[in-house]
Parts: sequence; C-alpha cells; structure tokens
Amino acid sequence: MEAVLFFAAAIGALGGAMGVVALRDPFYGVLALVIHLFSLAVLFLLLSAAFLAAAQVVVYAGAVVVLYVFVAAYVGGDRESELEPIRGQRFLAPLLGAALFIELAIAVLGSSLLALGTDGPDVKAGFGDPAEIGYLLLERFLLPFEASSILLLLAAVGAVILAGRRVDLGSGPSGSHSRGVPAGPNPSSAELHDEEAPQPVGGRQPGDTSDEHSAKRSEGVSPA
Amino acid sequence: MIPIADTNFVEATWIMIVKSLVIFGVIFAILPLMTVLERKLIGRFQHRYGPNRVGPFGILQPLADVGKLLGKEAFMPANAIPTLFVLGPLLTVLSGVLALAIIPWGDVQDGVGLYGIDVPIGILYFFAVGSIAFYGVLLGGWSSGSKYSLLGAMRGAAQLISYEVSMGLALLGAVMMAGSLSLVDVVHAQGEVWFIVPQIVGFLIFMLAGFAETNRTPFDMPEADAELVQGFMTEYGGMRFGSFLLVEYMEIIVVSGIAAAMFLGGWMGPGPGFLDPIWMLTKMLGLVLLFIWIRATLPRLRYDQLMSLGWKILLPLATLNVLVTAVLVVLT
Repeated sequence: MEAVLFFAAAIGALGGAMGVVALRDPFYGVLALVIHLFSLAVLFLLLSAAFLAAAQVVVYAGAVVVLYVFVAAYVGGDRESELEPIRGQRFLAPLLGAALFIELAIAVLGSSLLALGTDGPDVKAGFGDPAEIGYLLLERFLLPFEASSILLLLAAVGAVILAGRRVDLGSGPSGSHSRGVPAGPNPSSAELHDEEAPQPVGGRQPGDTSDEHSAKRSEGVSPA
Repeated sequence: MIPIADTNFVEATWIMIVKSLVIFGVIFAILPLMTVLERKLIGRFQHRYGPNRVGPFGILQPLADVGKLLGKEAFMPANAIPTLFVLGPLLTVLSGVLALAIIPWGDVQDGVGLYGIDVPIGILYFFAVGSIAFYGVLLGGWSSGSKYSLLGAMRGAAQLISYEVSMGLALLGAVMMAGSLSLVDVVHAQGEVWFIVPQIVGFLIFMLAGFAETNRTPFDMPEADAELVQGFMTEYGGMRFGSFLLVEYMEIIVVSGIAAAMFLGGWMGPGPGFLDPIWMLTKMLGLVLLFIWIRATLPRLRYDQLMSLGWKILLPLATLNVLVTAVLVVLT
C-alpha cells in the first residue's frame, strides 16, 4: 500500500513537473503544476508530515496556483514571445539548469547513500503535528520565521503599490476608454465599473474587467 | 503498514468502511429532502405553495427531479474540452464528499468514534479539500468554451479564495480557545460554554464567508442567473448539472456541520450518549434553515460589493478577532 502510494505519487510529481516544462498551452502547464503539487502533498503524508501536506495543498494548490490559473485562463497561450528579456538567456538557461541538476544530484545521492544501511529516522509520535511545527517555527526558528514573514509582507505591500500605480496611470483625464480596449463598443460600459478603469488586455469585452480587477486585488494578499 | 497520516484514534479497517458508508448514506438521504424543504419553505416565504404534486405534500418531488435529470441528454458543446468538461463536476463532487469526513457526529462510544476521521490537522483538512472544489468550478467553466461559463468560473474562483481567508481566520479564535485543530477536541472544549458566546464575531464571519463559499444568496455571483445564466454551469445539462447542484447542498451541510461543531457545541446536548448524532443533526439543520431563510430574504450583492465586503470588512474584523482572542487566551 505504502509502496504503491509512493510510486503513484512519485510518478505524478515527476510527470507533473515535466508537464509544466513541456506543455505548450500555459493553461495545461498550470494544471500539470497542480498535479505535481498534489502528488508532493501525498509524499509529505507518506513521510507523516500531515501539517506540511495540508499547508502545501491550501497555500500552493489552493491560493498561489489559483492566481496562475487566472492569468492563464484570461491571457491565454497564443502569445509566444520571440525576444529575450535577458540577453543570452536561451544559451545560459540550459547551462545553469544542468549545473543545478548536478548540484542537487550530488546532495541527494550523498545523503541517501549514507542512509542506505540504516532503518531510516525515528519518527516520534506527534511528529509533524501542528503543535510540533508551531513549536519549531515560533520557538526554535523564530528569527528566520519572522524574517521571512517580513519579506512576504514587503512583497505584498509592493504588489499592492505596483498595482495601484498602474491603475493611476490608466485613469487619466482623457477618459478610460480612449486607451484602446479593442472590443469596447460601448463607452458607458466603462463607467459601470465605478472605481477603476478597465485594463487594456487584448481583444476582450469590457464586461470582463471587474473580475480581473478583483483577481488582481486578491493577488496582493492571498499568497502572503 | 505505516499509517498514512496520524489519526488520533486507531480503528479496524472494516469499522472505517462501515462508518464511511453510513455517513455517506445518511447525508445522501438528507440531500434530496433538503431540496424539497428549500423549495417548500421558499414557496411559503413568497406566499405560494411550493411543490405539492408528487407524493404527499410534494415530498417525492426530488425523485421526479432526479428522474428528469437522468433522462436528459449528457450534452457537451462542440468547442468544449471533453476530458476537462467531465472532470469538472467529478472534482466538485469529490471535494464535497471528502469534506463530509471530518464532521464529528459524536464522541468515541464503545470503541467507535462517531466521525469519519479525526486528524490532528483537523480543520486544515477542510480547507485543503475545499481547494479541490475550486478546480472543479474552474475546470468546468473554462472547458465549457462559453463566455458565461468562463466569467462565472472566474467569479466563483475569486470569491472562493477571497472568502477562504476570512473563513480560516474566523475559525482560528475557536481553535485557539480549544488549543487544538481537531474538531473533536474543539467540541470537547465547549463543555462549559459554547464558543458562540465568546466567539460571536468569529461565528458571524464564518457564516457570512460560508454563504460566499457555498455560492448561496446573497453571494451567488458565480451563478447569478439574471446576468450569467447560471455561470459556470451554463453548458452543463442532465446529471452533470445535477451533481453541481448536489454539491452545493452538500457544501451547505458541511459548512453547517463545521459551524455547529466549532461554535454550537457540536454533539453536546441533554440526554444519553446515543442521542449525540441527533443533537448534531438538529443543530446542523437549524443552520441549514438559516441558509434557506436568507436565500428567500436577501437580494444578490453586486460583484464589487462582494469583494470589498470580503477584503475590507470581514478580513480586518477576523484578524482583529484573532488578535483579541490571542491576548485573552494568553492572559487567562
């Protein structure tokens, strides 16, 4: 049972991870990522880390990837960019990827070869419980925990500020619908969505925008 | 075999199977009764009779409904994506059924815990399972290949994730007072006073978020039949549509069950031990009636109102509630 679950989850995790890289359509790529994350959660469960598994599903599958899904479902996959934002990216990426792979392989093999003869670690009762994790995070590793939470807070505030600035740029005195929403046939529809002006995202109708803004609004907060 | 996850209480496999069958059976017996109850009650609220043709008092109406749904063609639009289109309702049903497992119906009696499972992560399980529901809604809407469906799915998804945060924070107060995430422990901690008294803010926020989470009026934006023609379910017909609807009722039961366990003392009530599940069921039914009552009473909110209520009012309130509770718990 355990072995079956392990191999099923491992195949899911590897297959999902490869799907993220290999699939052309970003929407399917995101779905593959979801499969990968759920499989990882099952692996965590097998390691009797129930809290970690739940957190993995709630935070990653339930919140972070949701935002990816929003972007993928709205923007779609028909815009494969031909330019390189960073010079030499296409040349460097495989090299760096290979370097990372070798590094990880050394680390994984080094530690797992050592453990081959042993029975594996002793898992106490209550290992991976919320109480145990809470103790570790808030007593033993308090400083790194707080530091990372400040980092997340900064990122959230930064996201809110950046999003707010884009809206300010958009709603100039010339009126919002002059910024080229291509399919905006009806100027009054922009006024219906009161506080914010619609964003120029290619070829959609203005009715979509209220959802998009709320998605953005949530974007700043939920991953933190 | 190493247990896959720690449960607070170990039982034989056959007991687990019987338990899950019983829970499943009872809930699936209640669901159709709930639909007819809702239609009857809403009829009364609106000064009409409601269904009264099939069976005595119209009580067999759900059977007729299911017969009709099963008889319909399993239609799929030409530009839908077949696998995902089928997967959507499946995932939704899966998340609803999985969530039923943690509702505690009673304490451990004669060596059998009267609940599906009692995991130490407790309420986190509910949220983890709830995140599967999101993918059901979204895949269903996106793969339908229809604008209404996509808009409905997007609304639904945005609503689900925005209100999930407040929902979790609202429960955190009760969790801190009980000192455990496990629903069974939380119910045990309410021996003296039900948590609805000290945690009234948490209860109200949880119920509000619960309405949004189950897509019920006044938060039924994803469906919004007047503007989105049933939202993410637009293209679904027959029993696939039926399963979306079924899960909506199942989620109402789950949210009511969690609220009853976290705030209303769960199975606690006068009388001998075997009455415990009855008490639990009574409290849940009371909350279900609240859901129906509000559906008959309140109009639908606008979408931006819904979002600003969630993020600007409920979330700060819930956070404040958590902070105040934390200080009080530490002081006492």
